[in-house]
Amino acid sequence: MAERHPTPRFTPEATIGPFYPGAFLTHIPQDLSIVAPLLAHRPQGQPILLVVTFVDSSKRPVPSLVVEFWQANAHGRYRHPQDQSAAPLDPQFDGFARLRTSDDGVMRFSTIKPGAHPVRAGAATMRAPHLRLTIFASGIDRLVTQVFFDDEPLNETDPVLRGIADPRVRGRLIAKRRGAAEYDLDVVLRGDDETPFFDNWESACGSIR
Amino acid sequence: MSGRVLPVVVNDRESETRTPAHPLYRIPDDARDPFTACPPQPSLRAGEDDLTRLAPGRPQASGDAIVISGRVVDEDFRPVRRMLIEVWGANAHGRYSHLIDAGRNDAPLDPNFYGFGRLMTDDDGRYRVRTIKPGAYIARKDIAWWRPPHVHFSVVGSGVRLVTQMYFPDEPLNEKDYIFLIVPAADRDRVIGEPIDPLGGDRAFRFDIVLRGRYQTPPDLD
Repeated sequence: MAERHPTPRFTPEATIGPFYPGAFLTHIPQDLSIVAPLLAHRPQGQPILLVVTFVDSSKRPVPSLVVEFWQANAHGRYRHPQDQSAAPLDPQFDGFARLRTSDDGVMRFSTIKPGAHPVRAGAATMRAPHLRLTIFASGIDRLVTQVFFDDEPLNETDPVLRGIADPRVRGRLIAKRRGAAEYDLDVVLRGDDETPFFDNWESACGSIR
Repeated sequence: MSGRVLPVVVNDRESETRTPAHPLYRIPDDARDPFTACPPQPSLRAGEDDLTRLAPGRPQASGDAIVISGRVVDEDFRPVRRMLIEVWGANAHGRYSHLIDAGRNDAPLDPNFYGFGRLMTDDDGRYRVRTIKPGAYIARKDIAWWRPPHVHFSVVGSGVRLVTQMYFPDEPLNEKDYIFLIVPAADRDRVIGEPIDPLGGDRAFRFDIVLRGRYQTPPDLD
């Protein structure tokens, strides 16, 4: 099929539907604050708990929603062959996790707080510490967004946050600290207070052209 | 500047209440990354690419065993190598082995079919999976919406993230399925498996996946 077309016709995306196998969750790490149960080796950096509540346009919780998290390590380095940063890798940190919301639409993600990093190696513009989220659920195709932390001064100059003109909308991507190490965020998929999502074809997921 | 506005699947209450209404936001050019999420490469067990048995040597599930085979390529038709493909689907009776499907679907479970598997693309971007042709099932009784037989595909790797559904040719339910109909008419053939000669004695379908972007196959990670 593909070879017969001089210009590509992409495979359309679809929803994961309501019956996403639980086994696909257990195959992938769900807690990045540890390497494995009882193992003394730990990732570097500050352990944090991110609590995200997902709701729909009626503010009803969205259960069985799947998020794939990806993030830099505590030094701001991604485990990716194309990350040219001079910051060190952490042998105990890969930075990829997959979690599912409970019946009350809540997801509790234990990880370490990612470091800030330049937009690319050598660039002056800094990205504030953030998590990248790829979101799947019954009824929606893949969504992507990013989550920031409300105690980070770099939020003021982060180019992705600044790309959202309305500061109220921008604030919907900033998790609020509760206590020493917990951050809370509500993600509204549709309607009033809708969370901003990014165009993944154009920017967040396509590789550089 | 705004991006796409995502379409809503009609008569799908979850799509109507969960699909963002605002146009997607564009990430500024100078904040784009040269790379995207890179999950660790998984290690698969023998037989994970054969959904028709719970394990090698176990009895075969009910229904028609089929093989789905194809290539995963980028927009330049270059192979996308060593990507994880996750596959799932209903059994021959149209029932998922999922707690959410219990109680709303009278079709029986099959003791020999769990309905999910994993495999990797090879160095030519090719993959092959064996499963049972899924049955149709009713999604909404109040409007008699039936989902036609379909197999879910997920492709994940460095820079690659796609979830889609493969349909079967000559299924009258396809043209009445709201999730199939959300695909633009000109692209619907891209999500229908193409019948090919039998493979290993099983009915076989070719399902090529063309990814948006010029994805680089990741070098092995340290």
